[in-house]
Amino acid sequence: MFKSTTIKIAFAILLVSGVSCKKWLDRKPHDGITGAAYWQTKEQVQAAVTGCYASLLGSPNGSRSLAELLFLWGELRADMLAATTFTANEELDIMNVNILPTNSITNWRSVYQTINYCNTVIDFAPQVIGKDQTFTQEALNKSIAEVKALRALMYFYLVRSFGDVPLKIKSTSSDKDIEQIPKASMDSVLTQILQDLNDAEPYAVSTYGDRASDKGRITKYTINAIQADVYLWMENYAGCITACNKIINSSQFGLIDGTVANTWFNTLYVNGNSNESIFEFQFDNQRQNTFYPLLGISSRHLIANPTVLTDIFSVDFVNPLNVDIRGDGASARSTDNMIWKYSGLSNDNRTQRASTQYSAHWFVYRYADILLMKAEATNQLGNGQEALDLITAIRNRATALAITNTNPSPTDKDGVADFILAERAREFAFEGKRWYDLLRNAKRNNYQRLNILLQMVANTVPPDRQQSAIAKYMDKNSHYFPIYYYELQTDNQLVQNPFYR
Amino acid sequence: MFCFCLVAVSCIISKAQAQAVTVQGKITDSDGKPVYGVTVAEVDEDGRTIKADRTDVDGNFSLKIINKKHKLSISHISFKTVELSIGDKTVFNQTLQSSSKDIGEVVVISSRKADNGMVPIAEKNLTTSQTHINAKDLEEMQAASIDQALQGRLPGVDITAASGDPGAGMQIRIRGTSSINGATNPLIVVDGLPYETSIPSDFNFGTSDEVGYAQLLNIAPSDIRDISILKDAAATAVWGSRAANGVVVINTKRGGVSRPVLTYTFKGSVTKQPEALPMLNGDQYSTLIPEEYMNPTGTALPQTIKEFQYDPNDPYWYHNYSNNTNWIDAITRLGFIQDHNISMTGGGEKARYFASLGYFNQKGTTIGTNLDRINTRINLDYIVSEKIKFRSDFSYSYTNNDRNFGINLRDIAYRKMPNMSIYEFDEFGNNSGNYFSPFSNIQGSYLGLDAKGNVLGTVNPVAMANEATNNFISQRVTPHFKLDYAIRKNILQASFDVQFDINNTKNKSFLPQTATGRLSTEPAVNRAYDGDIDVFNVTTKTNLVYTPQFKNEKHNLVSYISLNTYDNKSTSHEVLTSNTASSILQDPSSPSRTQNSDSKLQAKQYETRSMGLLLTAQYSYLDKYILNAGLRGDGNSRFGPDHRYGLFPSVSSRWRISGEKFMKKIKSIDDLSLRLSYGQSGNDPVRDYAYFSIYNALITAGPTASIGTPFSYLGQGGIYPSNPELKDLRWETIIGENLGVDLTMFSRRITFTLDFYKNRTKDLFYPGLQISSFTGFNNIDLNVGTLDNQGFELGLNTTPYRSKTWQVDLNFNISSNENIIREISPLYPSSKGDVTTNGQYATFLKINNPFGSFYGYKFLGVYKDLASTIAIDEKGQPIIGPNGQIIYMKFNYPSIGYTFQPGDAMYEDINHDGNINYQDVVYLGNSNPKYTGGFGASVSYKGQWKLTAFFNYRFKYDVINGTKMNTTNMYGFDNQSTAVLRRWRKEGDVTDIPRALYRSGYNFLGSDRYVEDASFLRFRTITLRYTASKKLTDKLKLKNLSGYITVENIYTWTNYTGQDPEVSLRGSDPFRVAFDQSFTPPARTFTIGLTGSF
Repeated sequence: MFKSTTIKIAFAILLVSGVSCKKWLDRKPHDGITGAAYWQTKEQVQAAVTGCYASLLGSPNGSRSLAELLFLWGELRADMLAATTFTANEELDIMNVNILPTNSITNWRSVYQTINYCNTVIDFAPQVIGKDQTFTQEALNKSIAEVKALRALMYFYLVRSFGDVPLKIKSTSSDKDIEQIPKASMDSVLTQILQDLNDAEPYAVSTYGDRASDKGRITKYTINAIQADVYLWMENYAGCITACNKIINSSQFGLIDGTVANTWFNTLYVNGNSNESIFEFQFDNQRQNTFYPLLGISSRHLIANPTVLTDIFSVDFVNPLNVDIRGDGASARSTDNMIWKYSGLSNDNRTQRASTQYSAHWFVYRYADILLMKAEATNQLGNGQEALDLITAIRNRATALAITNTNPSPTDKDGVADFILAERAREFAFEGKRWYDLLRNAKRNNYQRLNILLQMVANTVPPDRQQSAIAKYMDKNSHYFPIYYYELQTDNQLVQNPFYR
Repeated sequence: MFCFCLVAVSCIISKAQAQAVTVQGKITDSDGKPVYGVTVAEVDEDGRTIKADRTDVDGNFSLKIINKKHKLSISHISFKTVELSIGDKTVFNQTLQSSSKDIGEVVVISSRKADNGMVPIAEKNLTTSQTHINAKDLEEMQAASIDQALQGRLPGVDITAASGDPGAGMQIRIRGTSSINGATNPLIVVDGLPYETSIPSDFNFGTSDEVGYAQLLNIAPSDIRDISILKDAAATAVWGSRAANGVVVINTKRGGVSRPVLTYTFKGSVTKQPEALPMLNGDQYSTLIPEEYMNPTGTALPQTIKEFQYDPNDPYWYHNYSNNTNWIDAITRLGFIQDHNISMTGGGEKARYFASLGYFNQKGTTIGTNLDRINTRINLDYIVSEKIKFRSDFSYSYTNNDRNFGINLRDIAYRKMPNMSIYEFDEFGNNSGNYFSPFSNIQGSYLGLDAKGNVLGTVNPVAMANEATNNFISQRVTPHFKLDYAIRKNILQASFDVQFDINNTKNKSFLPQTATGRLSTEPAVNRAYDGDIDVFNVTTKTNLVYTPQFKNEKHNLVSYISLNTYDNKSTSHEVLTSNTASSILQDPSSPSRTQNSDSKLQAKQYETRSMGLLLTAQYSYLDKYILNAGLRGDGNSRFGPDHRYGLFPSVSSRWRISGEKFMKKIKSIDDLSLRLSYGQSGNDPVRDYAYFSIYNALITAGPTASIGTPFSYLGQGGIYPSNPELKDLRWETIIGENLGVDLTMFSRRITFTLDFYKNRTKDLFYPGLQISSFTGFNNIDLNVGTLDNQGFELGLNTTPYRSKTWQVDLNFNISSNENIIREISPLYPSSKGDVTTNGQYATFLKINNPFGSFYGYKFLGVYKDLASTIAIDEKGQPIIGPNGQIIYMKFNYPSIGYTFQPGDAMYEDINHDGNINYQDVVYLGNSNPKYTGGFGASVSYKGQWKLTAFFNYRFKYDVINGTKMNTTNMYGFDNQSTAVLRRWRKEGDVTDIPRALYRSGYNFLGSDRYVEDASFLRFRTITLRYTASKKLTDKLKLKNLSGYITVENIYTWTNYTGQDPEVSLRGSDPFRVAFDQSFTPPARTFTIGLTGSF
């Protein structure tokens, strides 16, 4: 036929090329570090921990920024916001208690994103021990303490907003880790939160050596603050007081002096990281918060409810100089009800931040919060006087108007609780706490004070929707958000929250 | 393999020995006159030229012969070639015979070869499903790109235009979409090697696959000789992984043995935008809006809204907002196209050439859209000897394309408030000459671009069209070399192909302040973008073809091994800055702001590699039983190491029934065959490096996913895992089965092809499947299920009448395709669409049901008065509440609980519970056409006059008339169509258009109000061609001359009330439905063409 050598040569060539193609087909990306190459050095652990924090400032993939979400979750359902003509329908629906599972504000994606980053550090950072000789067990524990506390904080937001939520404490690192999991009960999530916090507490540092890190990263005191909040939510008042006392007794914190309102506003809010602060999301000019389009721009979506300044802070018509420093020019601007905490650059001449200056921090815990949480807990334990003393300290600093002092008797537990709730509204106006405060007080002792919510909704929802809103709030399941519809579609183990089925 | 060939060549050369003898002689023609310029060459046994000389004016030559065993070849273009053995003879006086018969268009009668790009096989022996089209059949159409002209011509090939703008590409689907979101475009093979048509997806304009496809433009239609489309999996299997969606094989023209022929073709066209949807004028619009605003709340439009006040005491507002502007007319113009092409072809025994130079220019019908293209091509063939042959092809093209800044500019113009002025007036009513682009008005403002390049919000369309620029310049150089070596003549043939493809594209865009009216500090203002993408592509193919010659002629075998490699590297650079100092400074290098959410500075590099080894054999016995089997192994760098290689077998067969004895009697049948095939091919993911888990720095996501600025936390950079590793990503495998019948009758006067097919896609690839967010990630690329495409195709070509003067040809094709999901991952959502939201239809993914069905409410009209809104039970009695009160119809009680008011849209309460909710949703239609196809006829007279007409159609499919929805919803400040003039206005009005409700109500829920049967028959083209007679061309000293007139898109017969019933299912999402967003029917084009060669 023909030369068999020819065929042999041809096949030899084909064979050689076949063998070498394994390497030839191995292509690696030119930018970005691949997962297999990561987790080698302590610097990488540090960068990953920083990544967890950075995700608090903004989602890397376009989801709603966490701070904005926490603001909306904490304020939309409460009574301190008002709509404008530019309010998005989704925002309006939540304000009017017309919440559907298709409402993207109920999308918890950004929160779980941060949780997964934390999980990734918890799962992979221990691998670095041994690979990097300079990475000590102590350093590892410290890093894990930070992310565990962060994870606990994230779950705490979820559990307060949704009730039962999926509890994911293992990272998703490959497509083989993708699973469908059911919801965990609120109690088991809270147990996990406490466990994380208790694990983290002994290893967390008291200080990183610089002010910004102490306020922008998790310290022992941040953990104590979260613990206090969790215990208060769980109605474990002794636990709450213990946690508060750890912070109070550390003498590391104090209230910022309020005698000169402008200095106070600048120190606490404009500059941030004050002595009063315990944990703040560290926005800066390079990475701004998203409050400019939401609250600052002329087509702002949300403004302060006019009653905030007139009723909650109240006005002294006799002496215009007698003001609660937390009111006009701090929480909101009286001329247009613009929410001022994130937009204001000064308290005295009401200068607004330029669109490029929206770097106000998001305040998670402040010393004032610790004092008022302790007040709430001591009141519940029957020590009304101590609670009133703590409130007075807060009020004096802010030169609160006498008219807002309800003067409850120390033995009037509900009266003191209401007073604390009202004071918290003033102290933490628009800091994303109001709804949780209302709900916590309403649900206490098996919804003994449900009327707190009913009254609130009667004041905020437009008349045509009031009856239906009140009827909805009678059902305690309606106090939690529905699970966003897409989550149900992608996980058939998830069951919609009872009210929205 | 290449080296191997070189070695072989050098061996042959070294064999030649020196035996110098001088031969001489005189060459004369048949009249005895000497012939000048005759090539006299010594050739070896393989026909390879060793030495050569040319005759002088006296016809004399002299040549030193190296080997007397060689032959003397005497050749001239005008004479028959003569070969003489040399031996001991030294004087050769030769008379040459004129070969005038060889010149000109001698049609070589041989069976037509079908080309799969690898090895040509006689079409009559094909075992697979292919269709073939000669470019000559399409040359009259005024298409910038051949794909446009193919529309509706081939059964089973669905081609739809992205838009009518210059440079917009096409979507080609062969036998439906076999992938739900992977690569769905077919592989294009040009002259035997794959031709890249995609651009890395995260480049600025890479997201729109249409644009990538416009790259096909770069082959001038007049350079194309023929096109074959490989449809079944057994046919595409030879091309492996990238061919899973079908293969389009294009061959360009090559030179033949002839004297030089120069051909010039010209096409000139005029394009006109047809009458658009009638919209409200300014006065009508200004009446509608205050009414619309007042209806839901009862409060009048606030005094602060000055756009509708028409208050002469407020002159600035009065002059600027009291107009009747037709925004569409303002951005529309007449389009012109000119296409010049000059080509030269010819060649001799040894060398043949085809060279062409083309210039194409199109002025689009929308202001600001233009396309310029220059392209050249040189195809050279050189026959070194009977054993060695090489080809060298070179093509270059330069394209300069201007597009509108936002691709949805016409939509914006339709919706733009018509009482607004184009140019700004001052307080005194003087036209300032500046575009009226207010920072923001009641209708909104510019809100940026979405990921696909659509402008969000609203702008002044005229300012945008004229002032904002978006320019693409691309240059593409494609050298291609091919060496053929016959190891054993006619038995073992080796060939080696290598192609380099250098494809560079530059995109520059600029958005000046005047186009948007935004504040000078915003990133949208004076936004300058400059992006470059350079793609370098090396493709090789090494073939070894073995065709043993059997003594017993009953057996016939063709077999080959093919090794293909593919290496694609791309690098891109993108810069986007804002706020340059002036609208004249349009380059991002001018001082400008780089730190904002919009800006971008990016450089990327990608590389893809793949290789495939193919073994194929086609065996035939008695020319009746033909069996073809192939096995292809593929490797691809886009997969992780665990799933990198795939093995894809294919088997196909043909039984020529007409070859059997019992059929021989039927003389009228030329050929009747049955084909059966089975084949697998693999599809790779669309993105490079996707299987890696990447740790990235945190960036701020901008308006599009790829834009962002990195940020730090407390001054430290943060790293996060941006995607999980894909350990389980596998080849998407397409398993195709095909049963076909070919029938040729009456000496090829009737050819008929029928194919039934089923393509099953296993391990369906889905990029970006959204996953539960508690995983921490948005989405993941996953193999999600199994999908079937099944259907049939029928093609019929006939010549019912043929005489010396007249010839009538008719052709017809029809096809049907169904898309069915057989299996799907539980992670995949099973439904889409929220029926409680205006404008949305529900679609469900049901196993074993075809795609494309959609659900919604039944629209019954408009509630004419309060009484008609009373809820009625099954018996037709009003529903009475527990306290005896009247119950009015409600929408989605309790979660929404809206009570219908007079003037609202009325939906059928299917279950008679007085509540319109998801329980009242019914099946409304399916948007997959049941049949699609085309037919045409041509009549020619004396071979000089030829009239050709072509129609295409789609039958039985439902379209959601989105244009109708958007132009009659009266929900916002967008302009509406004149249909809303008959809207419900007061109690008792009986009409089909509900009342205007500003941002409230449920008047345009997904209902059958917008669903229409869009079956259509379109008179696509008609052409009258005149070819000059031989007498005339001889007189003009031309080889041939012809001219023609073509009219395209002449008329469409349809019941569809929208603008264009030909709505493509955009994208490949299984929930997709045909949603018509077009405001204008396809443009009518008049073309004049002229071809002359000499």
